[in-house]
Amino acid sequence: MTARVWVDPWDPSFGTSLGDGALDESAAKLTLDLETPPESWAPVNPAADGWRPSELLIIDGVRRIDARVWFSDDDHPAAVLGIAASVAAGVVRIDGHARVAETRVGRGIFTSFPGADEVRTPIAEYPVIHTAGGDFEDLQIGVQQRMGELEVEAASASRAREDDLMIMDGPLFGRTTIPRALGYIKSHRASYLPPELNEIIVRLQAGQRTPVFTIGTTWSRHTWYLRLPTTSTSPWAGIVRCEAAESLSRAEVLRLADTSATVLPPFASEPYKDSRAPQNLVPIGGLERALRHRLGDPTKLHRALTAATAKS
Amino acid sequence: MTDDAPIPTPIARVLGTQPASPLTFWASLVPGNWLQLDDVVITERELPGRGTISTAGIVTQVQARHEGASFESDVHLIADGFLPGEVVESAEITVTRVEPEIYVPPTPGAAVRRAEAAERDEALYFDSMERKLPIGLGRDGRPVYANLDFLDGTKGAHISISGISGVATKTSYALFLLHSVFTSQVLGAKAVNTKALVYSVKGEDLLYLDYPNTRLTDDQAAEYATLGLPADPFKSVRVFAPPRPGDSAGTPNVTGRVGGEVSSMFWTLYEFCQNELLPFCFADPEDDRAQYTLLIGQVAAKLKREAVPVGDSGAISIVGQTVRSWSALIDLLQDQLTDDNTRSNWTPGSTALGSVNAFLRRLHSAVRPLGPLIRGDLDLRGRQQVGTSQAQVTVVDIHSLADRAQRFVVGVTLRRQLTDKEASGSADPLTFIVLDELNKYAPREGSHPIKEILLDVAERGRSLGVILIGAQQTASEVERRIVANCAIRVAGRLDAAEASRPEYGYLPQTHRQRALLAKPGSMFVSQPDLPVPLAVEFPFPAWATRVAEAGTPPVSALRQAQGSSGAQGSSRSNDPFARVAPKPADDNPPPF
Repeated sequence: MTARVWVDPWDPSFGTSLGDGALDESAAKLTLDLETPPESWAPVNPAADGWRPSELLIIDGVRRIDARVWFSDDDHPAAVLGIAASVAAGVVRIDGHARVAETRVGRGIFTSFPGADEVRTPIAEYPVIHTAGGDFEDLQIGVQQRMGELEVEAASASRAREDDLMIMDGPLFGRTTIPRALGYIKSHRASYLPPELNEIIVRLQAGQRTPVFTIGTTWSRHTWYLRLPTTSTSPWAGIVRCEAAESLSRAEVLRLADTSATVLPPFASEPYKDSRAPQNLVPIGGLERALRHRLGDPTKLHRALTAATAKS
Repeated sequence: MTDDAPIPTPIARVLGTQPASPLTFWASLVPGNWLQLDDVVITERELPGRGTISTAGIVTQVQARHEGASFESDVHLIADGFLPGEVVESAEITVTRVEPEIYVPPTPGAAVRRAEAAERDEALYFDSMERKLPIGLGRDGRPVYANLDFLDGTKGAHISISGISGVATKTSYALFLLHSVFTSQVLGAKAVNTKALVYSVKGEDLLYLDYPNTRLTDDQAAEYATLGLPADPFKSVRVFAPPRPGDSAGTPNVTGRVGGEVSSMFWTLYEFCQNELLPFCFADPEDDRAQYTLLIGQVAAKLKREAVPVGDSGAISIVGQTVRSWSALIDLLQDQLTDDNTRSNWTPGSTALGSVNAFLRRLHSAVRPLGPLIRGDLDLRGRQQVGTSQAQVTVVDIHSLADRAQRFVVGVTLRRQLTDKEASGSADPLTFIVLDELNKYAPREGSHPIKEILLDVAERGRSLGVILIGAQQTASEVERRIVANCAIRVAGRLDAAEASRPEYGYLPQTHRQRALLAKPGSMFVSQPDLPVPLAVEFPFPAWATRVAEAGTPPVSALRQAQGSSGAQGSSRSNDPFARVAPKPADDNPPPF
């Protein structure tokens, strides 16, 4: 048998859509028969006359570390790490036009140091946000959480209709109470399906999805895989995973799944324009550019932080 | 600039991504607003201890683009609603005025608002012009003025109008400016005696200046009212046309202009000799390089010395022979100059025979073109000599003449005008000279009598009160010193190659591009008071420019005056040309 070779469509600096390589075997609790019994799984074509949202709201956030800071006092002579970070979240409203509808920008010094003081600079203020742990990973999680809060704020501020659909970039974790919302996952770290069903994913054509199944890790949600149009023939090229709240009825989930398979493929991006094409949807790419811009100039912020802390 | 007026809402803000300078800056439009080229805007800045600095300017460029697009195809994604993107519009503003004069840049983010009413006039320096001449309507529909000080010789003089034939409407604009000078009251009482000498070089379209234009609509008439000008034809017009070729009565060669003042334009042989008009028969560029220049002067001087009038028809007697026509004079010169015995009476013996022959050859070629203009056979009673004393606007119609004859007429009449002005010793009243095809009469290369006169007008006319309104297709081909002396420069539609020449350095780059597509009736006027040329539109002529537009023929003020004064009226009844133009019934349009 001749070995086949593909070039992964993502820019190498982003890794691949399959995480760092081989997918971890997931220990998640699986419920495979929500839509179809596992033995009769096959690629699903969405219903042609399914529900169409009147507008699409796409939520995304960006974060950036502006500086690493160190704290110490008499009680803690060894310096304690903190990170000064800027986060931004925003919403693209798509209703024939695509516009950035809401943006939220937040900054903060994330640290576990108890006596930390906020840092005020002439161009921005960094309040202190205490994190549970002091490791760099703990601080990063703090930043991530702050960004998640802003995303929820922006999402709830942008809701104007009863028949819209909200797509949150990333897992739905902690946001499952938001109505008519999907989590949109571009890169896959775990292989949730057993190998024989994983093979279905490879067989998906553009615009087709797998049947919906339910996974339970620390939290439970309905999920399905979906292939976006792509020119790459790599087996997992263009595969994304969508999540919906577990609290939804079977009919509601299937309706959302069908809608996602119809609504999302047109937004697939082009490889020459986006290094994470096609999974990084066109509006998400545009939103991220706009949000990164809102974070401000990193050099100026770093300099301002340095100057502000040098004075005190 | 005015304190009590409420400050209007900003329509734009000074851009920070482009450097702003006190001379030019960019502004980004507040969404939902717009600015177009030529709009006048104003922005302010507080200076510690110095108060408010107002920076006013004209929009010289506007741009719109998608922000958030990084690939050209993103335009489709944004338009189709896939990619979030914003349309941003920005405007380049060229500063015209900083008040008080502290040249600091406007601060990025500062509000920019439209300059309306008095602010707009201040931005364009109209408030500081003591005598304002309306020169057209701005893009905002409000009058645009020129400083008369730069037209009447006080600080400068002369107008140069450039543009493509037919589209640029150079002559129409020149006449509109004349109309404005005469009727805008800017000259006060002097306007009555101010004269204009207009050369009609293309068709008969300048022969109806005193006829109302039947195609003038009410809207167009309203534009005149906005400018403070009457929508009337010229009040007092006298046309001089050359005699019809072959007509022994010397009837003026004009087909239209029924009922208007027309005089026949010719010079008697005696005048030709007495006023030394011979050099003007040699006003072609090719005469410049010829060897017979000296000979022309000698012959002209001899003619002046020897010619004696015969009878009252302008004929002369010279070296014992009576000469009654131009061709006879040339024949006589031929005989005299080719005969070895007589030649030395005309020119020193050293003159080479070749030069004499060249001179005669050239003279012979002038027989036909100049024959109808230089006469010794016409009844001179009631003759109107070509000059500006007869009417406010004197039209010299040379369109039917051959090139040689056109040059002769222009040269002779211009010189007469200049010498009359010199003799009067006063710059007042002003005389305006409207001459198209300046590149023909004052070309950049070479030298001939007409160019010398025009140079004289350009350089001394300011003090003599002779103001040149010159028009040309290509300013680059006109003598540089003439264009350089024009205080006010105007460009209509320009040819692309022409627009890139340094002569149009007064037009900024965007204006040059716009000049390529300027519509008839649109002009860019540059004047010393303003750092940016202003785009103006001038109204449709209130006077007829062709037979089809001509309304009721004018009842000449001149004729009325003559009718009441008696003496001149009787001389006029003897005018051999009076009977040529039949008097029309008052109400009927001309039968064309």
